Amino acid sequence: MTSVVGYSGRAALDALHAGGMVCVLIVDTLNWLFVQPLRGKGLRLRSTVEHFVEFGVRSMPIVGLICFLVGVIIAMQSAYTLEKWGATKFIANLVGISALRELAPLMTAVLITGRCGSAITAEIGTMKVAEEIDALHVMGLNPTKFLIVPKFLAMLVAVPCVTVLAMFIMILGGFLLSCSPLVGVDPVIYYEQTVNSLVAKDMVTGVVKSIFFGITICWVGIYRGFQVEGGAEGVGRKTTSSVVTSIFLIILLDLVWTTLFYFA
Amino acid sequence: MAASNDNDIIIEVRDLVVKYGDRTVLDGINFQVRRGEIFVILGGSGCGKSTLLRNLVGLMRPYSGRILINGQDFTAMNDEERTDARKRMGMCFQGSALFGSMSVGDNVALPLREHTRLEESTIEIMTKIKLELVGLGGFGDFLPAELSGGMKKRASLARAMAMDPEIIFYDEPSAGLDPIVAAGLDGLIRKMQHTFNLTSVVVTHEMESVKQIADTVCMLERGRIVGLGALEELRALDYPYVQQFFARRAQDESQIDSAEYLRSLTGLE
Repeated sequence: MTSVVGYSGRAALDALHAGGMVCVLIVDTLNWLFVQPLRGKGLRLRSTVEHFVEFGVRSMPIVGLICFLVGVIIAMQSAYTLEKWGATKFIANLVGISALRELAPLMTAVLITGRCGSAITAEIGTMKVAEEIDALHVMGLNPTKFLIVPKFLAMLVAVPCVTVLAMFIMILGGFLLSCSPLVGVDPVIYYEQTVNSLVAKDMVTGVVKSIFFGITICWVGIYRGFQVEGGAEGVGRKTTSSVVTSIFLIILLDLVWTTLFYFA
Repeated sequence: MAASNDNDIIIEVRDLVVKYGDRTVLDGINFQVRRGEIFVILGGSGCGKSTLLRNLVGLMRPYSGRILINGQDFTAMNDEERTDARKRMGMCFQGSALFGSMSVGDNVALPLREHTRLEESTIEIMTKIKLELVGLGGFGDFLPAELSGGMKKRASLARAMAMDPEIIFYDEPSAGLDPIVAAGLDGLIRKMQHTFNLTSVVVTHEMESVKQIADTVCMLERGRIVGLGALEELRALDYPYVQQFFARRAQDESQIDSAEYLRSLTGLE
């Protein structure tokens, strides 16, 4: 009994400590993102652009390919049911709504977690192990300004951009399958169905979600990176836990936002 | 008289106590480093010498005590003051700590790019001068991973020298290097001292290296200073740990207190 109490108490303290650490990181980042630049300390724009290219532009091929395939898959699954009622033109509604509101943001976030969230943790972790973070401190360079802010800014912009692209590609995938001889919807009807069924709010839902997913990926990656201790093994362990934590939080956040937009 | 004396002291440590949790790692450390000397902190593994260095450069906060650098209390500074103070010191890390994603030249140029408003062309020239100084002229475009261990340490020194500091801290400069390369690095530390009247604080456990470079030696054992002075003074000290270190003799197993050993095994008091 005491061990259960002790265990949950320790777990709660650990969670509290982690929460505190994340808060410190967030405050420090916001400070170097908004306050210090006004005091003439500047942002590292070049590094930010480089990170944007890495997180955004270089993620596009794989995100595009996978979202195209997912578009084809949802179209096929929808056709399976809708064919029975002769309502195949409504595939357009299903694909459009699920792509914009749910699947494009989610698939993009999961893929970018795997590609870039893990890379952030590994990079910061390796730097910590190799004393490079200490070197930054000793050289009078602030690690937050130097390492975190460029990644944060880049992620904040990159994830929504890639998500919007993913939305269109997913709809394209659904369109191509539905209009192929396999299902045989008239392309013009499919186009009209898509345009008529979607409203701006669907797109906003997806983009808002994706912004929060981007922040989550970045924060978890950085936090786990700074947690690394004890050489290469520690880097590997924290990289794995970075991906797991990030995907878990993304799904959780997705649920929260979906609920909010459902009632809103 | 007193004023000129104060001027000669560049680092002063007063009653420094450092703790990891409840464990006291450094206890009552007092010493002074004179301007332009090579001050060696010597000790076995786990004696607290790396911890002492981390405190000196401000990577750790002491539990109590003061560290005065140029008469200013380093431990009481705010972030901005500390950043300014750090521009006047450089550090060579044990594993070189060069940024792997940047070329060697960019590593050296980084402090200049961040802390000064010099023209890019000037920075390039200064970078080349610093690399030339440590014998790495022409290696500016190499990535750190393409350099050998000794070259990395030299590059690290070039980066530490970039801002023309007053003090350089070396963490185990000869660790993991063969005797020839290590001797070369010792020579380089001496050369920096002669050429720029640089104050150097070197943490090491290599006796050979100490003999080559030390002006003053501070010997640590279990977080306390057991010897402080010139190498010859230390050699003359009649203290078992110091003598053991100089003679490179292993800890005598028979000297271990049997009661203490028993306690450590059983965990009983």
